[in-house]
Amino acid sequence: MWPFDGSIGGPVESLWLALYVASFALHAVLVGCVAAGAGYALVAAVRRSADPIAARTRDWLPFLLGAGITAGVGPLLFLQLLYQRRFYTANLLMGPRWGAVVPALIVGFYALYLAKASEPRRRLALGVATACFAFVGWSWTELHQVMLDDAGWRAMYAAGARFHGDAAILPRLAIWSGAMVALFAAVSAWPAAAAERRRLAGLALAGLIACGAAAAAAIALGGFDPAHGWTYLLIAAAVTAVLAWAWTARRPDGRGLTVATAATAAALIAGSVVREAPRLALIERDRATAVGAGGLPVFVVTLAIGAAAIAWVVRTARGAP
Amino acid sequence: MSPIDSAIPYYPVNDFGPLMKGLVIGGVGILHVFLAQFAIGGGMLMWYFERLGQRGLEDARTFVDGYFRLLVLVSFVVGALTGVAMWFTTIQVGARTIGLMIDEFHWLWATEWVWFAVEITAGYAFYRCGPRLGGRARLRLLALYAVASWMSLFWINGILAWQLTPGRWLDGGGVWAGFFNPSFWPSLLFRTAVSTTLGALVGCIVINTMDLPRERRAALIRRAARFAAPIAAMPVFALWFLAVLPGDSRSWLLGGSMPMTMFVGVAAGASFLIGGYAVVGLILQRLYINGATATLLLGLAFGATAAGEFVREGARKPYTVRGVLYSTSIRPAEVAALRRAGATASDPYPLRERYPTEQLARGARVERALCDACHTLRGANALVELTRTWTDDQLRLNLAKLQRTKGFMPPFAGDAEDVEALVQLLRWERDDRPAVAAAPPTSPEILAQIARWLDEAGTAPASDPRGAVK
Repeated sequence: MWPFDGSIGGPVESLWLALYVASFALHAVLVGCVAAGAGYALVAAVRRSADPIAARTRDWLPFLLGAGITAGVGPLLFLQLLYQRRFYTANLLMGPRWGAVVPALIVGFYALYLAKASEPRRRLALGVATACFAFVGWSWTELHQVMLDDAGWRAMYAAGARFHGDAAILPRLAIWSGAMVALFAAVSAWPAAAAERRRLAGLALAGLIACGAAAAAAIALGGFDPAHGWTYLLIAAAVTAVLAWAWTARRPDGRGLTVATAATAAALIAGSVVREAPRLALIERDRATAVGAGGLPVFVVTLAIGAAAIAWVVRTARGAP
Repeated sequence: MSPIDSAIPYYPVNDFGPLMKGLVIGGVGILHVFLAQFAIGGGMLMWYFERLGQRGLEDARTFVDGYFRLLVLVSFVVGALTGVAMWFTTIQVGARTIGLMIDEFHWLWATEWVWFAVEITAGYAFYRCGPRLGGRARLRLLALYAVASWMSLFWINGILAWQLTPGRWLDGGGVWAGFFNPSFWPSLLFRTAVSTTLGALVGCIVINTMDLPRERRAALIRRAARFAAPIAAMPVFALWFLAVLPGDSRSWLLGGSMPMTMFVGVAAGASFLIGGYAVVGLILQRLYINGATATLLLGLAFGATAAGEFVREGARKPYTVRGVLYSTSIRPAEVAALRRAGATASDPYPLRERYPTEQLARGARVERALCDACHTLRGANALVELTRTWTDDQLRLNLAKLQRTKGFMPPFAGDAEDVEALVQLLRWERDDRPAVAAAPPTSPEILAQIARWLDEAGTAPASDPRGAVK
């Protein structure tokens, strides 16, 4: 199936791309929960509401961020195989301002711990954490755009510019912000009570609508790319998610949540491919050393062992009284 | 032509002011290595203490729950993030190096990532649910955490050791020949011993914070100190490591380069002090160690780690990957072509500063391409200071025959005009950048002399990839 059918290079490149998309989607779920969750908990803290969703979210945020960063190593690795020169150049052009994402994440991480442990400092801590994650999200979006703009690299370097004012950045950020809210709602709704699910359904609908509006703006700016049908799948999945969330809002205990979660997952995968489609032509193809590198069987076996180990850990943790 | 299309990858170069790039990556790297090794040793220590707790030593279990929170808050957070920071910093310093490492070992890197994910998952599961789990589940979770964290070290160690001693990989031996390279085992064992020692030292600090009578704390310290015992074997691992190093690298560590030798001395001296206290004082004499002393020893361990990492990085010179890529991010096979075409003929990036003459601008581009990875003009490892007292001809000769001037320098990868442009830049910088360059136009005779020196030096490094000095 395009683009994993060898059409972007050879079978190895297709495998890198598939692993990139899969690990990126996993990363997106976790960081989406962190960014939107921190924002949600901040709003609840500012309103001083005893919101059980906010309490659960605060409790899980440090772990989710740790897991999100860990999951982010996967796409970071495969990105360097697919677009090595572009990724490195964009890193270097943005320089220390790009490197600032690391201290921002460290500050955000400890702020989440503080928000969990200290009620008096909660609002400040969540405000700081949300600002840090917004900065990181903006930086990644900017880096993505710098990677594409090889025609502007010389001028950016000559000017010593660390920022890249691209018209596509705001719509992209808006798309991701809406998607993150929808992802957060889908994950948070499972342990939630009926009334909480209604609220989360409303949140998810708002996120999806914002995402759709921002996507429409992005299309108006950059044109519509069907991406070999993946865009239609994305639209169908998003519409299904909207309907399923509406159903969940009416009947929180029904199967709407299952459908909404499945549709959100499908939309995320399709969206990840659609996001990638415009730059697939830029994949660096003549990379004989990388294509011929050994070790794949070891990775596959380790992945199976690791997945089994993680499944056992989750089962053990869920079995705790 | 787009910068993406050049045959030799040229990346934009960032200026870190007076900071040499090696200092930037060194700072992040040392912190990361220290924390990551502490996480490994800490995991093993916790499994051991949990086992002791389940066999009747109640305080051991109290220790596990207290110690683990520290481990999570420090090593998970800063350790994981400095790992990502290492990646970004390495790109800043040597994008081509990290690219080559990724190209060659990406499946093994992905394997390491899986183990890291298991480590984080097991760790957090214990953090959240540990107090509510039964003894068997606790022990298994901690065992999984300890194994996963050590496996993470296992995989990354092979990739890092390959940079210094690629071994049979240079002969086309493939990824496994590169991974299980000559310094793989001594390096892995050495790092494992460091990890357990760090775990023991932090354990002793934490035990001193526990609200227990002194004799009960002493009982815990005696147990924790056992984890420092592997430090006794470190001299053997260090000698093994030295023995498998390329000959030229070994000679620099053993007196050929005094800064390197001094760092070896610092690492060995600090390790000896820690080892002596741990083995003789804590294990054999069964002495008590208070929190202040344990913290002091941990500080020494940080110093030893810093010195050891400096030695490991420095021993690779003039390469970042032995025999394959120079610290200038140029492959040995590319030097001859750059001698013909000039060092910066294909460099697509303009200068950010203005220079009074074309020659000085060329010199600045040459400096950026060939020197900037390890030197600054006026800050750390400053070229202006290193060459201040040299005469012009001495400077020309030393640059043209760079790999002969210092064995740990790569051959000059440019033509005669590049050498002369760099010479004039360094003179201009030494003279505090006069508004009008004082140097007369370079004569054809001088360029011809430089070209002869370049030819005499050749394009090969001073040592062959396995370290034999030619």
